[in-house]
Amino acid sequence: MTVETLISPEMAAAVGREYEWATSYPIDPVSIRNWSVAMYYPEKPPRLYWDEDYARTTRWGGLVAPEEFNPFAWMRADPPGNMGPEASRPWPELNLGIPCPDFKANIFAGLVVTHTGVRMRPGDVIKSAVNLAGYHEKQGRLGLMLFTTREDRWTNQKGELVRVSRSDLIRYL
Amino acid sequence: MTETYIPSVYVPPTGAVVPKLDRKTLKVGDLIPTLTRPGDYQLWNRYAAVNHEFAGHHMDDSVGHHEGFEAAIGMGPFIHALLHTLLREWVGEDVGRVAKVGMQSRRPWIRGRTLTEGGKVTAIREEGGELIVSLELWGDNDKGERLVIGEGEVALPA
Repeated sequence: MTVETLISPEMAAAVGREYEWATSYPIDPVSIRNWSVAMYYPEKPPRLYWDEDYARTTRWGGLVAPEEFNPFAWMRADPPGNMGPEASRPWPELNLGIPCPDFKANIFAGLVVTHTGVRMRPGDVIKSAVNLAGYHEKQGRLGLMLFTTREDRWTNQKGELVRVSRSDLIRYL
Repeated sequence: MTETYIPSVYVPPTGAVVPKLDRKTLKVGDLIPTLTRPGDYQLWNRYAAVNHEFAGHHMDDSVGHHEGFEAAIGMGPFIHALLHTLLREWVGEDVGRVAKVGMQSRRPWIRGRTLTEGGKVTAIREEGGELIVSLELWGDNDKGERLVIGEGEVALPA
């Protein structure tokens, strides 16, 4: 049987809704240091990420995290006890409380991250708010594929926008 | 037939100088210095430890085989994160910043394969008091296969 669409009226009506929120613990300089080692290994990371005295002399005025730093890895402050990736689902319908087809596969398709220039620093608390940015469909080798775009907006404790990421997930029956 | 996996041996680079962005000579079409990383648990496990990435296919060749790959596969977000490192090494993290990184996956990064990322300047503009340099980005393995494509932007004070 040919499937004409995978997007139900409930799914279409949910576009634009926020469905997942999280708050990080205050960013620790140890986490920034460890992250930068992982990013630059086997080379030594730039001093901007681990040498406070040096970092104060730069345009940033102190330690900052590399732009791609993730303050939500491991446990999050809110929801309390949330273990991060294992507790969240990349597909939004479950959190939105709407039905969706029983998909066979979920595949990461792409990610675009825009950094505003507001840097993450030790002590910052980052909030994440994820919304369902849209659906579209395309015929593929495996049949009709559903592309789901989720947008994740991060703000700091001052309400400043830190980054916006849009990721695409491919699903099919 | 799949090739036998041979663990890589690290010879950390010493004294390597990475050319930085020079705004006096910068032009569309410039290629930026590449960034190379071995596809190896030494790197992947460090990333797993900071980003909580412990899916079996990143940690165990047998899981990779079960999913149809030659061996374990590297994390997509790590390849995306390394595109940031690629851009920072060029722009100079004290001077500029990474403004945008987009990436689409084409093939998996198989353990034992070396990843080389690169980029080419596609546009230069001033916006909001910053000089914005746009680039086309990519990541290839050592067989010459394209693993990811993408686009990026770096920003410097104008």
